[in-house]
Amino acid sequence: MAHEVWQTLAVDADTLLRVTGLTKRYPGVTALDDLTLEIPRGRTGLVGANGAGKSTMFRLLLGLAQPTEGHIQVCGIDVADDPIEVRSRLGYMPEHDCLPLDQTAADVVSTFGELSGLPRRAARQRASDILDLVGLDEARFRPIGGFSTGMRQRTKLAQALVGDPELVLLDEPTAGLDPLGREEMLALVSRLGTFGISVLMATHLLDDVQQVCDHVVMIDGGKLVVSGATDSLLDRTGVVTVDVGRHSDELVAGLARAGLAATIENGLVEATVDGDKEMDLLRDVVADLGLPLFRLSTRLTSLDEVFLRGTGESA
Amino acid sequence: MSADAEIPESRRGAVYDRGYRPYEGPRGRRGAATGALYRASIRRALGLRRAWRQKVAPFVLLGVVTVPAIVNVGIGYITRDQPIDRIEIITYREYVGVSSALLLFVALVAPDVMCPDRRQRVLPLMFARPLTGTDYVVAKVGSITTILFAFSFLPQVVLFIGNMLVSDSALDYFTGHLDVLWQVPVAVLLLAVYYAVIGCAISSLTDRRIVAGAAVIGLFLVTSISSGVIVGESDSFDGNDGSLGALINVLALPLHLRDVVFLGHVDPYSQLGGVDNGGLLAAATYIVVLCLGLGVLWRRYRWVER
Repeated sequence: MAHEVWQTLAVDADTLLRVTGLTKRYPGVTALDDLTLEIPRGRTGLVGANGAGKSTMFRLLLGLAQPTEGHIQVCGIDVADDPIEVRSRLGYMPEHDCLPLDQTAADVVSTFGELSGLPRRAARQRASDILDLVGLDEARFRPIGGFSTGMRQRTKLAQALVGDPELVLLDEPTAGLDPLGREEMLALVSRLGTFGISVLMATHLLDDVQQVCDHVVMIDGGKLVVSGATDSLLDRTGVVTVDVGRHSDELVAGLARAGLAATIENGLVEATVDGDKEMDLLRDVVADLGLPLFRLSTRLTSLDEVFLRGTGESA
Repeated sequence: MSADAEIPESRRGAVYDRGYRPYEGPRGRRGAATGALYRASIRRALGLRRAWRQKVAPFVLLGVVTVPAIVNVGIGYITRDQPIDRIEIITYREYVGVSSALLLFVALVAPDVMCPDRRQRVLPLMFARPLTGTDYVVAKVGSITTILFAFSFLPQVVLFIGNMLVSDSALDYFTGHLDVLWQVPVAVLLLAVYYAVIGCAISSLTDRRIVAGAAVIGLFLVTSISSGVIVGESDSFDGNDGSLGALINVLALPLHLRDVVFLGHVDPYSQLGGVDNGGLLAAATYIVVLCLGLGVLWRRYRWVER
């Protein structure tokens, strides 16, 4: 009955993924617990600690496991009804090593293109284009066994993209990368949105999500913590950061005299202000003291704080 | 004056970011994916697009299994004008049973086609495509069957054409051996499917090629030796001395069927010779072994089935 009701739900054109009442139980453990959410097209971060249920979510999305309860709709198609059609629209980049090491990147990506349903010639052409796109043009005829971690991650991304998916599932795409490799991978992920490919990126690195994703889904222990646009989650904290050069102590004393609490963090003054009146008061204190004002900005919450608040650990 | 200004417009280069081009052409589903995996597995088994070392084993084997045909035809050619009976070192029926070479090939190729997918954890990538566990098994078993069939059938073609050419009358030889034209492919197909299913089933149980290869050879050798102990060696038979114990000989099982195909009955000098309904029992055992092998494969890859 619930299934029939689900089928009648209208699919919003902007909704890429719709999950309702999704539960997955294994013997002795509940991996996902009554998860209901909608994910729009674009770049979405699926955030959670290890064991939060991210990989289980991916397996369910790919139709590689059956939910205990609930339904998943990808691009308007119920995964239970037509997992093959769903898979033909998805790309998947696992976290773990998964590439045949004795083959060249061109062969591997081309073969996975064919496995995605592309004709042979088209698969070879697209493999070449995609490897160029991810920065492996020069190395595409080398065996993957000789690749660095960063190159293997790029090859994994290439095989996920070669079938021209509507949605690509990235499982910890920056895992094991050095800072430069991480930045390059995030830049690639960020570009995918401009190609019309939506991204669902599972990670436990909130900085990565904050950098590239415009939507965030946080899960913990298989339960939904929070879901929403990244910007909407980064609330104002009521803390204002003031850069007055070497005069921080002078400003803190002046603010105290005016009745505003302030501290010095990393050489910058952080003052707690409540409303426009106190903001004006802070400005006046700086002016009255004749201090140079290099920067005045409100501090936003980080996703870490949102996550901790959501899981009840912030206190 | 800038450097650009010094270069004529027509000779200036440009760097283009080719960006991303969506694919808008035709797209296949399960059939296309299965076909792609089948072709990729054949390439892997033959060592194509791989280092030269990977190509040695399959093509040396093809050479080895073709030698008897070439020798047979060569002797026929040398003795074609001699007033002696035609010398045949191997018959079409016996040629189907060049199984020791094929056995080695199966022990080498089946693990190479199956084990790395599991060991290198490629399976999740494959099953994230429009491909089911059944499709995977069909592609893998199909690829090995195809290669075994080709490697068993091509030498027979060499033998047939060679014999035809060195005979007194090619047309008479052809018309006199028409039954071989269906017997050979049927017998070879029975053998190829059998070895492929057993090789793939055993290889699916481990991710280590060496273990799988040893297990394949071990299964054939152990059952062959056990059957020899129970029934006795067929070399010493006077005819119809066999017993039901021959059915545990996994190595010889498809050869009994081969005999049924070529002779219409089990070879009386084989380990199954003289057993009532021996051909039927061999066929039933053959089917049971195939079902067991396919059952193992289905079980090993069922996790992607819904």
